[in-house]
Amino acid sequence: MALNDLVKNALEIGKAMGVTLKYLTQTPVTVEYPNEPVSLYPRFRGRHELRRYENGMERCIGCMLCEAACPTGAIYVDAAENDPANPTSPGERYAKVYEINLLRCVFCGDCEEACPTEAIVLGHEFAMANYDRHDFILNKQTLLNPGMPNVVIRPD
Amino acid sequence: MSDELVTLTIDDKEVQVAPGTLIVDAAAAVNVEIPIFCSHPKLDPVACCRMCLVEVEGPRGPMLQTACSVPVREGMVVHTDTEQVQATQEANLAFILLNHPLDCPICDKGGECPLQDQTMRFGPGISQLVEPKRHKQKDYHISDTIVLDQERCIICWRCIRYLEEWEDKPQLALFKRGGATLIDIQPGQPVDAKTGGNIIDICPVGALTSKVARFGFRPWQVERTPSIDPHFSTGDNIRIDTRTYAIRRIVGRENMGVNDQWIADKTRFAWAWVNSDERLTTPLVRKDGELQPATWSEALQAVTDGLKRVKERQGADAVGGIGSAKLSNEANYLLQRFMRQIVGTNNVDHRDGGDVAALSTGIPSLAAVMQPQYGPPPQYDVIMLVGVDPSEEAPILDLHIKRAVRRSGTTLVIAHPRHIELTRYPGSYLGYRPGSEATLLNGLARMALAVKGEENQTVSQLTDDATDERLLNLCGVDPEAVEGAARLLVEAKNPLILYGPMAAQGATGEQVRNGLTNLAMVLDCYENLGYLGLNANSQGCRDVGVLPDALPGHAPLDDEAARTLLAELWGGELPTAPGKTYRQMLDAAGDDIGALLVMGADPAGERPEWAANLAQLDFLAVQELFLTDTARLADVVLPAVSWAEGDGTFTNCERRIQRAPKAVSNPASKAAQDWMILDHIAAHMGMQWPYASAQGVLEEITTAIPAYAGLDWTALGDQGVQWNAETVRPRPAYRRCRQDDLPAAGEGELALVTGTVAYDGGTLFRLTQAMRDMIHAAAVTLNPDDAAQAGVKDNDAVLVRSAHGELRLRAAVSEEIEPGTAWIPESLPGAPVGALLNGREQEFVTITPQ
Ligand code: SF4
Ligand code: SF4
Ligand code: SF4
Ligand code: FES
Repeated sequence: MALNDLVKNALEIGKAMGVTLKYLTQTPVTVEYPNEPVSLYPRFRGRHELRRYENGMERCIGCMLCEAACPTGAIYVDAAENDPANPTSPGERYAKVYEINLLRCVFCGDCEEACPTEAIVLGHEFAMANYDRHDFILNKQTLLNPGMPNVVIRPD
Repeated sequence: MSDELVTLTIDDKEVQVAPGTLIVDAAAAVNVEIPIFCSHPKLDPVACCRMCLVEVEGPRGPMLQTACSVPVREGMVVHTDTEQVQATQEANLAFILLNHPLDCPICDKGGECPLQDQTMRFGPGISQLVEPKRHKQKDYHISDTIVLDQERCIICWRCIRYLEEWEDKPQLALFKRGGATLIDIQPGQPVDAKTGGNIIDICPVGALTSKVARFGFRPWQVERTPSIDPHFSTGDNIRIDTRTYAIRRIVGRENMGVNDQWIADKTRFAWAWVNSDERLTTPLVRKDGELQPATWSEALQAVTDGLKRVKERQGADAVGGIGSAKLSNEANYLLQRFMRQIVGTNNVDHRDGGDVAALSTGIPSLAAVMQPQYGPPPQYDVIMLVGVDPSEEAPILDLHIKRAVRRSGTTLVIAHPRHIELTRYPGSYLGYRPGSEATLLNGLARMALAVKGEENQTVSQLTDDATDERLLNLCGVDPEAVEGAARLLVEAKNPLILYGPMAAQGATGEQVRNGLTNLAMVLDCYENLGYLGLNANSQGCRDVGVLPDALPGHAPLDDEAARTLLAELWGGELPTAPGKTYRQMLDAAGDDIGALLVMGADPAGERPEWAANLAQLDFLAVQELFLTDTARLADVVLPAVSWAEGDGTFTNCERRIQRAPKAVSNPASKAAQDWMILDHIAAHMGMQWPYASAQGVLEEITTAIPAYAGLDWTALGDQGVQWNAETVRPRPAYRRCRQDDLPAAGEGELALVTGTVAYDGGTLFRLTQAMRDMIHAAAVTLNPDDAAQAGVKDNDAVLVRSAHGELRLRAAVSEEIEPGTAWIPESLPGAPVGALLNGREQEFVTITPQ
């Protein structure tokens, strides 16, 4: 009986060690983020970004269409008139206030769809944990200056 | 025109309409929508956009005709959805869009734009144009408040027609031709019509937008509250659009009994004060000589202590309450209840209250002056204005009057010390010397009698002082002109006579009202005599009894029925002795008056002398929106909310009680509604009033004032209800109207003319950034001759001195000012004309260049 058990257990250990040995030779799945990049599909929808034109002007014209398209009411825009001498965006109108509440957002991407100037886009930032509820409300400053998430885009 | 209806067929539906109806309206009656751009229900048809083409069957087959300009015919057969019509609509839209910019995302009209809507519904669905579009001027200010985008304009003529048909100020026009056609102002002449902003509402695209509301709203995200205008006594109907605790814009709302659908620019643009940072948000109590933030209970206790202290020391009649014709019926009603029931005095009044001989019945009706595009004509063929300038004091009434003059041949008789704007119409103008109204009116009555060829012993006796000589010397009016005016009035079938507070103030006010009554009786139009107040609730403030000599409902203080009713309602006894008027209270402040409770008024800013008196008071409490000059002198300042931030009702000049519901609020502010503040003071004084809401106060008003019976919040609806004038109209009677000779002007002296201008330096206007440059300058305006005499030119700095005080102003020179007079409006920025006044009918000033 005891011998039987002994053999059985030894086999089990051998089996387990086999698994260990098998994976010992393979590359690991765990990614040491942020030290190592995460690979994402190009259409991955992460945290929003507000984009600019090459000349530095904001793309957003404060039209509030993203706000209207958003199914969860996560966006708040308040527009104002551009100072002609020192415009924020091309044309007469810009977004004075632009806020996104990440706690409401369902990352559907409808805002991106609605935007006539391709100003708001869902970026690739996915690490969005925070310590304070207020920090989930992104303001225009944060949106315009997104961090550079350490990601690589994998083919579709 | 016969009344028989015309029968026609539109898209196989039979419809019967009145003759003269346009096809487009007939179609609307059977729910057939015909797309339109240039056509507007309040403007003459021009048929210039060709959007409304429909097929009308004729002897030579179906023909395309413009539905907006072709009236219906018996047996007409119209098709609005044939292939031909659809093809035309598509082609037309494609044509209109040829040069229309793709601006929708930044255009304020987006979301409520007829061009967007109709392109979606009737358009081709594709765009064939690849060539670049024409470029014209964008972001082009055609006035301080209206922004034009020439690229977006679709040349529909609506704005041009509004300014021409309603304002009679053709300030916009088309220039160039073909695709290059532009809408523009005349070089250097901005749109300055007082109701010009209405063109923003009617522009079918976003070519005209509001500088003030620009980019602040999207039609789909605002909350819309039907309300009324807080500035003028006509009570024009508006809609307040709000978002995130702020007013975003104000637009006109239709009320065919009041304003058609038009509102004044001041109403539309001047609301920045509501959300201003200067608003008071917390109670202030004076501690160690300084006003310091306090809690409500501290502040209420301080008011209670102050009022009680003065009452104990000097008696109830040493306490006074000042209400405001800018505030709701509810606030004013409770103020007078507070003064009468809890303090026990009749010292309760408001500016232009007991000091002015007004009429309890206001004006007969606005609808009777209106000439809508489709509707009955005005009822008056002659309108007489005595000391009223509708262009400045009630711009919508001004609009109605102009329309009546131009469309229905109404004639104007204007008696005013200044050549007011309406004098540009043919009629009669009597430029009398300020203070001489009574004699002038007697002259008119006397001559009216003569023109009629009637004998009337009473009238002849009453008016025998108004000799030709006196008219000439005292009033400064040519007797022949008076006779001409009298002739117009006598020959009128139904004349309307309106007067304002300026004509009937002070000691002679009563005489002037008698003179007006006599004149109206001679003309057999006693019921057509009207008094036009200056503020949104001038009428309501009187109705609810904020008067030293009348109880709610215009009942005299000794009216037994009213006293019993109120005693039952309130419990306890009412004071019997008449109280002091507004001016009397302020003149006596610091003397006989030891404490004042001032609600929404700023007497200290009105007259420097009163500021000095108020500083002498034992106790002063002020309920205010802003830290006004008066509030700065107060012992306790209680922050109140504006008309948009709480429910309330206002009664306009034609006795229409209208609702102004809460539209917006500031969650960070501790300010409260005026009625609630009074209710709490009462509670602190040991009196529990039974009100749970403004509606509850209104409920009580409908019991306290018989004429208001049944007119509770629900009954008033969105269009308001007029109360019946017959319930309070005094019986007609000829009364004595006399005045003493006025002192003659000395060497170099000019008679001072003052009055109200729409764009003054008051808080409610000044805080609107865009309109700052429109504020009437701190100037004295002189006739060119007088200016030459005094040796001053336009824009010179001058010192204006009266027997009473002096002011430093700029000089302005204008033909509109009568020789021998100097015009200084009230509430100019930093220049209270009150500094020159001491309450006499006439004040002389000298002008010295600086
Ligand atoms: S992704 Fe969707 S839910 Fe999130 S903000 Fe955009 S529209 Fe709203
Ligand atoms: S992000 Fe795009 S859709 Fe949103 S307001 Fe700006 S321009 Fe408009
Ligand atoms: S500005 Fe507007 S109202 Fe005026 S013509 Fe152009 S489209 Fe019509
Ligand atoms: S709406 Fe009929 S032609 Fe313009």
